[in-house]
Amino acid sequence: MSYLVLKDLEKRYTKNGPLIVNKMNLSIEKGEFIVFLGPSGCGKTTIIRMICGLEEVSGGDILIDGESVLSKKPKDREVSMIFQSYAIWPHMTAFDNIAYPLKLRRVPKHEIKKKVMTAAETADIVSLLDRYPAQMSGGQRQRVAVARAIVVKPKIFLMDEPLSNLDAKLRVSMRTELKNIHIKENSTSIFVTHDQAEAMSLADRIVVINKGMIEQIGTSMEVYHDSATKFVASFIGTPPTNFFKVKIEEIDRELYATSKSFKYKVQSELKKALTPYINKNVDMGIRPEFIDVSAEGNKPSEYLCDTTINFVEPQGTHSILIANIGENETKIMTTKYMDIKPKTKVPLYVREGKAMFFDEETTRRIK
Amino acid sequence: MDRLNTIQKTVVAIILATMAIVVIVPILFFLNVAFSSDVEMSKFPKSIIPSFTLTVKVVPADNGEYEIFYDNGEGYRSILTTKNPIKLENHFRRQYNVSVPGEKLLRDFSQTRINGPMEFKYQKDILYNFKQFFAIVNNALPALKNSIIVSLYTIMISLTIGSLAGYAMARYKFKFKETINVSMLIVRMFPTVGISIPMAILLIKFGLFDTMLGLALLYSVPNIALTAWITSSIFVGINPELEEASMVFGANRFQTFMHITLPLALPALAASSMYAFLTAWNDTISALILTNENQTLALVVYKAIGTTSSGIQYAAAGSVVLIIPALVFTFIIRKYVNQMWGGVEL
Repeated sequence: MSYLVLKDLEKRYTKNGPLIVNKMNLSIEKGEFIVFLGPSGCGKTTIIRMICGLEEVSGGDILIDGESVLSKKPKDREVSMIFQSYAIWPHMTAFDNIAYPLKLRRVPKHEIKKKVMTAAETADIVSLLDRYPAQMSGGQRQRVAVARAIVVKPKIFLMDEPLSNLDAKLRVSMRTELKNIHIKENSTSIFVTHDQAEAMSLADRIVVINKGMIEQIGTSMEVYHDSATKFVASFIGTPPTNFFKVKIEEIDRELYATSKSFKYKVQSELKKALTPYINKNVDMGIRPEFIDVSAEGNKPSEYLCDTTINFVEPQGTHSILIANIGENETKIMTTKYMDIKPKTKVPLYVREGKAMFFDEETTRRIK
Repeated sequence: MDRLNTIQKTVVAIILATMAIVVIVPILFFLNVAFSSDVEMSKFPKSIIPSFTLTVKVVPADNGEYEIFYDNGEGYRSILTTKNPIKLENHFRRQYNVSVPGEKLLRDFSQTRINGPMEFKYQKDILYNFKQFFAIVNNALPALKNSIIVSLYTIMISLTIGSLAGYAMARYKFKFKETINVSMLIVRMFPTVGISIPMAILLIKFGLFDTMLGLALLYSVPNIALTAWITSSIFVGINPELEEASMVFGANRFQTFMHITLPLALPALAASSMYAFLTAWNDTISALILTNENQTLALVVYKAIGTTSSGIQYAAAGSVVLIIPALVFTFIIRKYVNQMWGGVEL
């Protein structure tokens, strides 16, 4: 039995209003680090607010440790949460902030002190315990929120975009620390973010959510290299996947993806899956790093078309080339030809087997 | 911000000084009156600061009597000629606010038999006017008690109902919310006197006429609205996540309100309680209509000023008694009004 189960979970804010969360099914194992990834307004925060009981459930069920928690008040669900704004109480010192949940649970005083100290050590804020939040930096407040969340030894540890208020550098170091604490506490965590880099670096499994529906559940590698839908392919990866509207045509028993500006030979392993789509339109997606700007090391069959580079955005480790293919602005990531000049004419090759095709209606990957 | 040039600074200083003078001079004047003796009241020009001592000139007269001269600003005048110690003592107390036994005065004055006319200096009894006020207005002490009670009632009623209303206005969406908000302000537009008469009838029916609770109910009417508005603006500023965090970490709604929301809204509550206090403490007209035996201090002072032609200094002393608790309360509350938890955004 899974530790946390969402069963056909639904949410609407008004009766007959739009579904914010649409028939969501998910099971999470004990000790997993799950990241909910999606654009703002996709319902990911609503889901964890329903798990901790701050939001009413419109349909379906939530089971924690095999038990439905729908009838339980937030305080009885044994979950803890780190809020986007940290939500540490400004009229209490760090110590009181961390001790408050224990006081409410009527833990004896000497034990509160011991537990707060242990949590403070884990979050590395022992020296800040007698300070008020106003006297702390954003990162320090964040740590207090973390200490408060771990001190109650929750069944599930919910984090609602906890890093979004920190500056870029701190965000990276803090996320390593959160992962560390997760491993040390052996907790079950759900982390909500719209930042795919954060999601990929933290998650055991990523749940990609769009418009209240799960697009894909998988490890970081799976969602990146084996995107299940057009949305996942476009949301994950910087720069995002390039998309082209193509028509599948059969010429000499081979399948080609054709558009006004190119005619690309479909890799043989997709032949069977694409056969029903002959003479139909599909979306073709290619990640920027899988496009090459020279014939070197590529087979002639991988040739896409010729184009002119419009801009070059050097990034140090790689450069992003921006070119037009037909009407589409296409981004190309290259590590080999970083000093290429704008206005250069180049041939484009797609690396073998890296073109993805998506059904136009369902947006699901054809494979 | 631009720095002000000299002319602007001068103009600002003049305006501020004028405003300060307009406010301060009457207060100073009436403080002065509150500490003046009867003879000082008719003195011209009146000194800015009331004196704390009395100087009289005593000249020995026939039959063992003494003639007492007092300088009322236009030179020494003969006021009294007597050798009766009781008459002397009363004269000194009533006219000069000096409480010295008549025998001692006579003993002092006897030196003039040897030395000729002499000047004598006596310490004034500073609190004499206050003692007189409580002596003349025999219900002043119960009235002070009544005032305190009615203020506390008003604070309690308007803060309890007003802050809950403010919380609802800030946190919940409901039908006719805007209408209710505005209509609460409309309640404030009625002068309290206007609702006093219908209130009197209601309170008589409820058996609350001439009670402090009844009076407090009337004062709370406009203050509930004001409290709701002040507190709702603060509640809106308190991040709901702070309350949600409390609920996730084990508190119920009531605990959350008491431990998290109320402490954070303390400045607003302090400000509101100050308004409630001042309304209840300063009102005379509603108290005049709604009370009979149980008068409040403001009403008693008002009546003292209105009914005494002489002895206005006693009424002034009563006013000081009326002001002091209000000042003390305001100063205590001020600390909380200014408190914003180290300037952090709530």
